[in-house]
Amino acid sequence: MRKDIQDRISEIKEADILVGIPSYNNSKTIGHVVKAVHAGFAKYFPDRKCVLVNSDGGSKDGTIDVVQNTAVEDFQSILLQHRVSQVFKLSTPYHGIPGKGSAFRTIFQIAEALNVKACAVVDSDLRSITPEWIELLIKPVIESEYDYVAPLYHRHKYDGTITNSIIYPITRALYGRQVRQPIGGDFGFSGRLARFYLTKDVWETDVARYGIDIWMTTTAIANDFKICQSFLGAKIHDPKDPGADLSAMLYQVVGATFDLMETYSSMWKTVKGSEPVQSLGFQYAVGLEPVLVNLDRMIDKFRLGVKELMSIWKSFLPAEITVFLERAQGLKKEEFRITDEIWAEIIYRFALAVHKKMMNKEHLLKSLTPLYIGRTASFVSEAWESDAQEVEAKIENLCRMFEDKKRLISENWD
Amino acid sequence: MFQRFFIEPLDRFYDKIIQFLPNFLVSVVILIVGFIVGFILRMLFLKLFRAINIDKFSERSGAVEMMKKSGMKENVSDLLSKLIGWIVVIFFAGISISALQVPTMDKLLESFLLYIPNIFIASLILLIGYLVGNFLGRTALIACVNAGIKISGIISRFVKFAVLILSVTMALEQLGIGKETVVIAFAIIFGGVILALAVAFGFGGRDLAKEYLEEKLKGAEERDEISHL
Repeated sequence: MRKDIQDRISEIKEADILVGIPSYNNSKTIGHVVKAVHAGFAKYFPDRKCVLVNSDGGSKDGTIDVVQNTAVEDFQSILLQHRVSQVFKLSTPYHGIPGKGSAFRTIFQIAEALNVKACAVVDSDLRSITPEWIELLIKPVIESEYDYVAPLYHRHKYDGTITNSIIYPITRALYGRQVRQPIGGDFGFSGRLARFYLTKDVWETDVARYGIDIWMTTTAIANDFKICQSFLGAKIHDPKDPGADLSAMLYQVVGATFDLMETYSSMWKTVKGSEPVQSLGFQYAVGLEPVLVNLDRMIDKFRLGVKELMSIWKSFLPAEITVFLERAQGLKKEEFRITDEIWAEIIYRFALAVHKKMMNKEHLLKSLTPLYIGRTASFVSEAWESDAQEVEAKIENLCRMFEDKKRLISENWD
Repeated sequence: MFQRFFIEPLDRFYDKIIQFLPNFLVSVVILIVGFIVGFILRMLFLKLFRAINIDKFSERSGAVEMMKKSGMKENVSDLLSKLIGWIVVIFFAGISISALQVPTMDKLLESFLLYIPNIFIASLILLIGYLVGNFLGRTALIACVNAGIKISGIISRFVKFAVLILSVTMALEQLGIGKETVVIAFAIIFGGVILALAVAFGFGGRDLAKEYLEEKLKGAEERDEISHL
């Protein structure tokens, strides 16, 4: 940690609440997030000592300046009484592998140094964050002694497709807890859990990048921390960097999930079925922005994958799946489907192939990209006319399929 | 007369045989010892390779695939232990030939022994070239497919072929076979391939380039807005 940050921590000494915002070139959106956090502190925790930490990855667009210069000018529009106590603000560049996980590590370290009771992390590209998010993520920790608060949002039916088609179903089937947004990005957690995270030696792995979210959630579930989920409303955020490589993202998130399967294999093998997690907050319907989808291009990418990568997949996928994929390649757009059963088996077979080190891990997981795009195209096509409830029912069916087929991985793991 | 033309050469031949026989016997004994030591080491290394699971590792690295393609059906552990056994036998055979104390054989043996490291290094270069070529070819294939490039297979094969050609050139240079010719041939082939590709791209890729520039300048007509995470 930098000397000036250490000095600032010594100056603050202790705090009750800490909210961390990881950032990298988010000057356009971070101001709104800082304001929401600031207002959340003032409105819901006026008598607590609160700290806002911005952990930055070396932004060149003045993100840190925006954080330093942003304040809620007119508290009267939000509060009847003006908050008296000060909010401490820290902006620090993080060290280590560039990525969200390294940014979180710095936030955990500051939380430990300040001996905070409750923490939360929120993304810096959020446009729908309100002061209530801070209450919903922090209060369960302070008042009900929860250790981990996962977010629960309303998202567009085509938003969060890695979550809906891979991470939620597999995490639920493996660990038996129905955490709907395991990689939501906005979490609340206790100071105790932050200290526990710091004891783990994972900061040179994919956890330091996009793998951090699934790692935090799985670590909390697998180590029996008390967990719940809070309904935050709509999640609307700036689209991720269009240049961001989908296959790298998929590799980091799915790779981290598969790595966790190694760490907690003795735990997940004994789990059967799944149980709901306590949900907090008042649920209401929200309007969501439309999402543009180019189905033809997605199916083309799937077809290209089947044509060129089949020799790789054949080394670990059974014949019935490769035959199915070859047949799917020839289908028209309207008929194109990758069924829940085939998809669950594909994911489990990839997990087994990674576990048995059948090929270079990066090659294996990046070769999943065309299949994932194909599955997303199939889902988009199926859910074209569906409303939010029907889509949720489809995701529920997929999760049940993952639970039913879990035997495939339990029996072939050792 | 008979004594001079027949008995004396026979006596000299007999003397030489008597002189040579101990060397010959020593040589035979060394060779037999070589075979025994070779066999023992082969067995020991076979056990060691199996204990450290070298077969599984080779399967993952692509070496088994390479061997199968070239018609070999043995395990890597069998093959390596046999190789070690034969290296030991050749080593003892060298000592055995040297024990014969025949000057011509000594010279031949010396040049043969000096050449062995070159063969070994050249084989190693070829093996590494094959493995690296396969790895980089697969990396290129997956990256190109994920980027939606239609000619992914061709690019992948080109990458693999380029690494293989480079390793064959290096191996031949190591063996001292047509040193300069090989390097020149490599430069011509490689340069030719690049030129051919440039021309092919120039003619064949006009539409692709036009499309790309149009997309860059005007923006894609319909871009996905799916947020995957």
